Amino acid sequence: MSGAVSPAAAPPPDAVLPDVAALMAAVVGERHCITDPSELRTYECDGLMSFRVAPGLVVLPGSTEEVAEIVRIARAANLPIVPRGSGTGLSGGALPVPGCVVIGLSRMKRILEVDLENGWMRVQPGVANLDVSKAIGSAGYYYAPDPSSQSVCSIGGNIAENSGGAHCLKYGFTSNHVLGARLVLADGSIVDLGGPAPDTPGYDLLGVLVGSEGMVGIVTEVVLRVLRKPQATRTFFATFPSTDEAGNAVSAIIASGIVPAAIEMMDRLAIVAAKAATGLDWPDVGAALLMDADGPEAEVEYTSNNAVELARAAGALEIRRPKDENERQLMWKGRKSAFAAVGRISPNYFVQDGVIPRSMIARVLREIDELARNAGLRVANVFHAGDGNLHPLILYDAKIPGQEAAAEDVGGKILKMCVRYGGSITGEHGVGADKAVYMSDMFSEADLETMALVRCAFDPETRLNPGKVFPTPRLCGDRPGPYRPHPAELSGEAWRE
Amino acid sequence: MTAFSRPAAEGDAILGVLPGTVFEPSTVEEAVEVVGESGRGGKALAFVGGGTDLELGAPPRRLDAVVRTSRLSRIVEHAPFDQIVVVEAGMTLEALQAALVSHRQRLALDPPLPGRKTIGGIIAANAYGPRRARFGSVRDLIIGISFVRADGTLARGGGKVVKNVAGFDLPKLMVGSLGTLGLITTATFRLHPLPEEEVTLRLPGRTAAGVRSLMRAVKEAQLEPTSVVAAWRQADQFDVAVRFEGFHAGVAEQRERLAGLVRKEPEGACEVLDEETARAFWSRHDELRAAPPLRAKLTALPTHIEAIARDVLPGMLAALADPGFLWYASLGLGFLAGSPANTDSAAAAILAARERVAGLGGTLTLQAAPAAIRERVDVWGPPPPSLPLIQSVKDRLDPQARFSPGRFVGGI
Repeated sequence: MSGAVSPAAAPPPDAVLPDVAALMAAVVGERHCITDPSELRTYECDGLMSFRVAPGLVVLPGSTEEVAEIVRIARAANLPIVPRGSGTGLSGGALPVPGCVVIGLSRMKRILEVDLENGWMRVQPGVANLDVSKAIGSAGYYYAPDPSSQSVCSIGGNIAENSGGAHCLKYGFTSNHVLGARLVLADGSIVDLGGPAPDTPGYDLLGVLVGSEGMVGIVTEVVLRVLRKPQATRTFFATFPSTDEAGNAVSAIIASGIVPAAIEMMDRLAIVAAKAATGLDWPDVGAALLMDADGPEAEVEYTSNNAVELARAAGALEIRRPKDENERQLMWKGRKSAFAAVGRISPNYFVQDGVIPRSMIARVLREIDELARNAGLRVANVFHAGDGNLHPLILYDAKIPGQEAAAEDVGGKILKMCVRYGGSITGEHGVGADKAVYMSDMFSEADLETMALVRCAFDPETRLNPGKVFPTPRLCGDRPGPYRPHPAELSGEAWRE
Repeated sequence: MTAFSRPAAEGDAILGVLPGTVFEPSTVEEAVEVVGESGRGGKALAFVGGGTDLELGAPPRRLDAVVRTSRLSRIVEHAPFDQIVVVEAGMTLEALQAALVSHRQRLALDPPLPGRKTIGGIIAANAYGPRRARFGSVRDLIIGISFVRADGTLARGGGKVVKNVAGFDLPKLMVGSLGTLGLITTATFRLHPLPEEEVTLRLPGRTAAGVRSLMRAVKEAQLEPTSVVAAWRQADQFDVAVRFEGFHAGVAEQRERLAGLVRKEPEGACEVLDEETARAFWSRHDELRAAPPLRAKLTALPTHIEAIARDVLPGMLAALADPGFLWYASLGLGFLAGSPANTDSAAAAILAARERVAGLGGTLTLQAAPAAIRERVDVWGPPPPSLPLIQSVKDRLDPQARFSPGRFVGGI
């Protein structure tokens, strides 16, 4: 193998930053070029607040051309670049590196074009996920990916992380809903990938872009697929004695040929937390499921009734169906609040994100419980059961010496367990800075090297978002190829071992 | 390596270029060995599955050997409860579906010629059929891949679970790459339940404007067909087939609702096809997409059907004997096919059509064409603006350009 692995470049000397800041301010305007140390602190981290690095400066461009110009200036000064959306990511994907330029896309939040008859719209990357659906909701359309942070997270960030959400079980992830993108590359050039019309000839570079965590370019415009709202949605909430029965119910529903729009599970602790936060009158039970079926009315009526029967057969204690949309929203609010609600039952907690084959849910939850118990900790589980995407919330008290480290250790063990069961170290939060170290558990050196080659094809200087995803810092080096002996080797003056 | 190689014969040629050797590895290890060994000699390779899409692209500039994947034809793992399958590249789609049917599951891809098309070929050629309207194309269903790189390294991307965002999306990169980035050895897909029931409705004699208004009505009514294909009949007339699949209750209700909508139109006609007639319609569709010597793919937007019917079809259809045109009405994809009556006029018609489609923001590529047409028309058309990036990806993964050189977009 051709290696191409070497230590990352050292951060630039601080001395160059003031000059660079002046050049960039001339492009975006003084007030959109942030150099004040106290203001820079806002950009030290994203949603993963345990990692913090102050950036060299933060620039908030307002157009594709400004982004391109900023990238050119950064490149000329040999500065690393970290793109940033709303900063809600949970894996440190927008974590700065020392001396870097953070390019924040928050000012670029216009909806540029809407074509509902053909099912697409063109937006800027800073538009919040939910604002896309809001803009077309009254016409009966919506944008399908619905990450829990959708009221604040940006479309650009969604592209970087290939964001999912509860309803991606049926509708797919961001990558299934992005039709085109305008991209500023690491050399400051601008390129369009895809577009509203399908099947642009060439490699599926758009497929590479989505989920590349800011390492292949900076998205400045996006063409999104938008969908007609389904005719009907049926929701039910079912309680179970334990996660075993709830897991079996999920398996039975899926095995029957039903494709739920979403099927979410909460365990006892998560239910307690959600109740505490929302005041919902949920019973104290071992587990609960919340399922949505959507589509044409007759189909949904049939599948929803069937799913309820299957849940009963699997041991459901109680089935509740919302009597109106308001009550349905409340049920979902309970589910969506469960993350934050855990703060009410524990002073601190880690959110983990891993995936297992869904048929393993019951087994893996028991194993997680055991792991936590052995460490003297508790874990609350609230997750996307339909696709096996676990979100264990590891509860701890930072004031108790050793607990934080123990909680981190449990989190790491859970990820390794996911890989052992044939799953993934991340289903939607991304690898970022947080999980780079676990990539080697899931991928071989050859796999990672191949991904690095693809990254180098876009950004040969690895200027964009360095330090993410890859477990070892990599530079691109020479283009790889089959081993060619050096002339000195042929003449016998040098040799390799 | 000789154990699974043989001298090439006439039938091993790709677009008229004959290789010297054919390799037929029967394990992934053997496939790795073939690619690795041939790399040391800088040999140019092409990969062949069922050989149904060999007319895609330009003839390879160099071709020393062909690697056939037909012996890599096993299911590596099928997890019915998790609705995923890991399959070797040389297995045919039909064989895969046959293995899944006992679990009432399917891979929701329906390109023509499933009995010959292999999984690796389907990925490399981005092959799909009318069900793309509901289930998407290969990129929406593939969740993992392994392939042999030009330097003989076996690499893997994605995984075995549907929800997974770890690392770069190598599976999607391989889709439609036509064997120019690596030899696909295995792939993992998400599966769908087999529908309890399916029904096809035929809406005969609609104009292009009528096709467009139908699509508006279908969306307005929140109907969810799995396929909508408008087949050109004559002048400005199309027969539209709409297929619903799912549980009986939903299929029956959607069928009735659509029929009701159409019958409310002034001259709206709609018939529910019996199983045999429906099968005949879809096999005619398959034939038109796979058999004629000239086949062009048009991409545009669903609403462009009117412009295409007005500005593109008359010229193209006049230049072809036994012409046909299929329009995937919800997707904006069209397939023109026939036999060129006269090379010059057919070439001129293709170029004119390409220009018009480009004006609509779409593309026209030739999926099959006689050599005389290929001499006059670039099968790919103008390369996309991302060509430098495409070249850069190619250079990183196949720096010696020995995988089907010259066959891909922009001469890559």
